[in-house]
Amino acid sequence: MPGKLTRLQWMLVLVGVLGTASALAKDPVVPSDELVFCTVCHGVQLMGNPIIRAPRLSGLSSWYVEKQLHAFQDGWRGVHEADLVGMEMQPMAAALTDEQIKLAAQFVAATDSPMPERTLAGDPSAGQALYATCSACHGNQAQGNEALGSPALAGLNDWYLREQLEKFMSGARGSHPADTTGQQMRAAMQVLGDETAIDDVVAYIATLGH
Amino acid sequence: MNKNLTRRQLLSMVGAAGGATAVYNTSLALGLMSDAGAPARLDLQHVPKGGARIIVLGAGIAGLTVAYELERVGYDVQIIEASKRVGGRNLTVRHGDVIDEMGHQQVCRFDDHPEMYFNAGPARIPGHHRRVMHYCKSLNVPLQVKANFSRPAYTHDTENFAGKPVRVQQYVADARGFLSELLYKAIDQNRFDEPLSADDRERLMHFASTFGDLQPDGSYKGSLRGGYDEGGFLSPAVQRAPLEFRALLNSSWWERGMLSAENPDWAAPLMEVVGGMDNIVKAFVRELKTRVILNAQVQDIRLKSDGVDVVYNHNGKRRKLSADYCFNSIPSHFMPAIPNNLPPDYQAGLAAMVPGNFFKIGLQMKKRFWEDEGIYGGATSTNQKINTIWYPSHGIHGEKGVLLGAYAFFGQCKFFERMNPAERLQFAADCGDKIHKNYSSYIEAGVSVPWGRMNHMMGCGTTWSEEVRNEYFALLQQPAGGRHYMIGDQISYHSSWQEGAFASAEYALLDFNRRVRADATRQGVR
Ligand SMILES: Cc1cc2nc3c(=O)[nH]c(=O)nc-3n(C[C@H](O)[C@H](O)[C@H](O)COP(=O)(O)OP(=O)(O)OC[C@H]3O[C@@H](n4cnc5c(N)ncnc54)[C@H](O)[C@@H]3O)c2cc1C
Ligand code: HEC
Ligand code: HEC
Repeated sequence: MPGKLTRLQWMLVLVGVLGTASALAKDPVVPSDELVFCTVCHGVQLMGNPIIRAPRLSGLSSWYVEKQLHAFQDGWRGVHEADLVGMEMQPMAAALTDEQIKLAAQFVAATDSPMPERTLAGDPSAGQALYATCSACHGNQAQGNEALGSPALAGLNDWYLREQLEKFMSGARGSHPADTTGQQMRAAMQVLGDETAIDDVVAYIATLGH
Repeated sequence: MNKNLTRRQLLSMVGAAGGATAVYNTSLALGLMSDAGAPARLDLQHVPKGGARIIVLGAGIAGLTVAYELERVGYDVQIIEASKRVGGRNLTVRHGDVIDEMGHQQVCRFDDHPEMYFNAGPARIPGHHRRVMHYCKSLNVPLQVKANFSRPAYTHDTENFAGKPVRVQQYVADARGFLSELLYKAIDQNRFDEPLSADDRERLMHFASTFGDLQPDGSYKGSLRGGYDEGGFLSPAVQRAPLEFRALLNSSWWERGMLSAENPDWAAPLMEVVGGMDNIVKAFVRELKTRVILNAQVQDIRLKSDGVDVVYNHNGKRRKLSADYCFNSIPSHFMPAIPNNLPPDYQAGLAAMVPGNFFKIGLQMKKRFWEDEGIYGGATSTNQKINTIWYPSHGIHGEKGVLLGAYAFFGQCKFFERMNPAERLQFAADCGDKIHKNYSSYIEAGVSVPWGRMNHMMGCGTTWSEEVRNEYFALLQQPAGGRHYMIGDQISYHSSWQEGAFASAEYALLDFNRRVRADATRQGVR
């Protein structure tokens, strides 16, 4: 788990958000009543809330969101005993109908919010070299590749990226026999030997998509 | 010199023994200081109609208090509330109510009957919470006594006393008895560093023997304070045999709960609102001219030099309100995910606050079986994860009753949150069966309220660390830019108590009033 942010880090994060708040490409979306609760955890326009550990979702493609909501619902994700944060999301998806999942995915794709600021240390130039393998699936700007089932990574919070990579590493995510894309991603983790490698690649991804 | 101690001498002795807190408490007891909790006379400046505009964010106790007080002196107040109901954490659940848990909405299936209610949030009010008392009195909200610590109720420990419930009275009497016996013997053997005079020794031994109800030889052999095994009315009372000393020592209740009523917030007698805690909320709503705007989640807060703009969603549209002042009770943990331009250190403070958490289960029982065991209100305590069974103080001798079937705190709550509502009720039923015979067979309906998963809430108050408190508390009490006040029990030393919410509102109002008066003076408007 990433440590708590120091006061200075917080100030930097928050100042960063303020600086970019006005320059968004899309108009704010007003969610339908049944989807307001997504914003209670993920924040206004799904901008992410580090206290709740709910990541920024704006910028994710609808196909990926739909797939993940089903993954939560079907118990591929957010049920592993070590995945305590995933367990916070799992019941939220479990309660949705297929129709609501479609609407939720559209909602996510329609939102925009400031790009998250860096909160973690890590060496982006070391990370760039490591990212070469990742780019085969996730794209050189971490923009994602639907044909390969690989999501965009640019625009996700760095703390969230790190947590996911740790989960793929430990098997808390991507272990379910039916979760083929999750298993592919787990296999790709072999490139990242240790925590430092994870921090570095995350630091590099955080520079993309701005 | 006078043989009697002066008050000052007494205080310095107390100080040497117990530090500043003891001096403070003793001073209060002697009437030398006024209680910090006494409601300040607000004496707010009246303003002409159509004067300054006020926006209140969140319609919990703190928001309602600010709205009520400012409306009374002429301000134009709007209250923006994200959820579909007024009251925030002040929640009483009755027949047909929806429990807005994210992921697991529940509908309450209690009987449609005035006594069948469950205080899912606040349930007890101690008399020294002067602000709560002030508003209950002035808004005509009737109170009644609520039993909390109860001697006929049980303490239960799966690992001790063969897993059988033990009456609180017996546990307490025996704990004192054993302790007193030790004390008695220590005195007898003169085991003190300081020499005791023969008089002192005799007095202390007498104290120990009275405290623990000891035998003339200083041994403890049980006490009628622990309750009768039989008799006592038409035949001689037979006292219960004392618990086994080692079992008592190994058991956990002396640590978990035996001393809970020593805490002033839980000290008997406590009060509750007749008919349900939310009658406080209803009283405010009755008094308010403005209608709370429900289903209105705040999206953006912009501080300007002369006021505050707030954007919120309502009926499928984004709407903007401009006001001269804003009073914000939104839980701090949501603020980092609501765009705003509050000063960076202010935002950093909000982000550093850590939310607390509570979990409760309410069960409608078809029979008030606990009354057959001589229990009328109060709480049984267990080392099982439900912690507490709390019997209703209202509706005595009625047919049915709603009791509290689980009450978990902070880190304990996740265990329940991760279950679905049916699993939670089953778990609570199984725990109850270990304490009361046929407990589960009496359950007719149940609700579980995990505050960490409740919509627009996700927790209860703030657990301030000393460090964060020192760095940010005073800052957050001040209005950002002189225009935006943070309020709520989160901005108090009594988080998770309504008194904290009232106190925060009062603090903000008094500060606001000083500023308004100073401005008026500056502008020469008297
Ligand atoms: C289980 C439990 C037991 C308790 N026991 C006691 C007790 O015995 N005695 C006692 O005195 N107190 C008790 N309390 C504490 C008491 O309930 C609180 O201190 C008090 O109700 C807090 O009031 P508040 O106005 O500060 O906050 P809240 O009631 O939390 O009000 C905040 C409001 O803001 C709203 N909001 C959130 N997000 C937004 C948004 N984006 N836009 C607009 N509005 C928003 C919320 O919906 C809510 O209505 C208990 C609480 C709980 C949960
Ligand atoms: C109770 C809080 C909560 C609510 C409500 C909530 N989420 Fe989440 N969500 C989370 C958390 C925490 C995570 C991170 C899970 C993890 O670390 O694996 C998450 C993860 C996700 C992800 C995975 C993102 C990714 O990049 O893979 C999606 C998609 C998502 N949420 C969508 C939604 C939608 C849509 C809603 C509303 C229907 C919603 N969430 C409601 C807490 C919540
Ligand atoms: C073989 C293709 C492939 C490679 C190579 C690959 N990934 Fe992935 N990655 C995926 C797929 C597919 C998923 C989606 C998994 C799922 O469906 O749950 C994914 C998911 C992720 C996620 C989770 C995103 C989210 O929103 O939760 C992260 C983070 C990630 N990859 C990072 C990396 C990094 C870093 C590398 C390089 C070390 C990498 N990936 C290499 C295919 C790949």
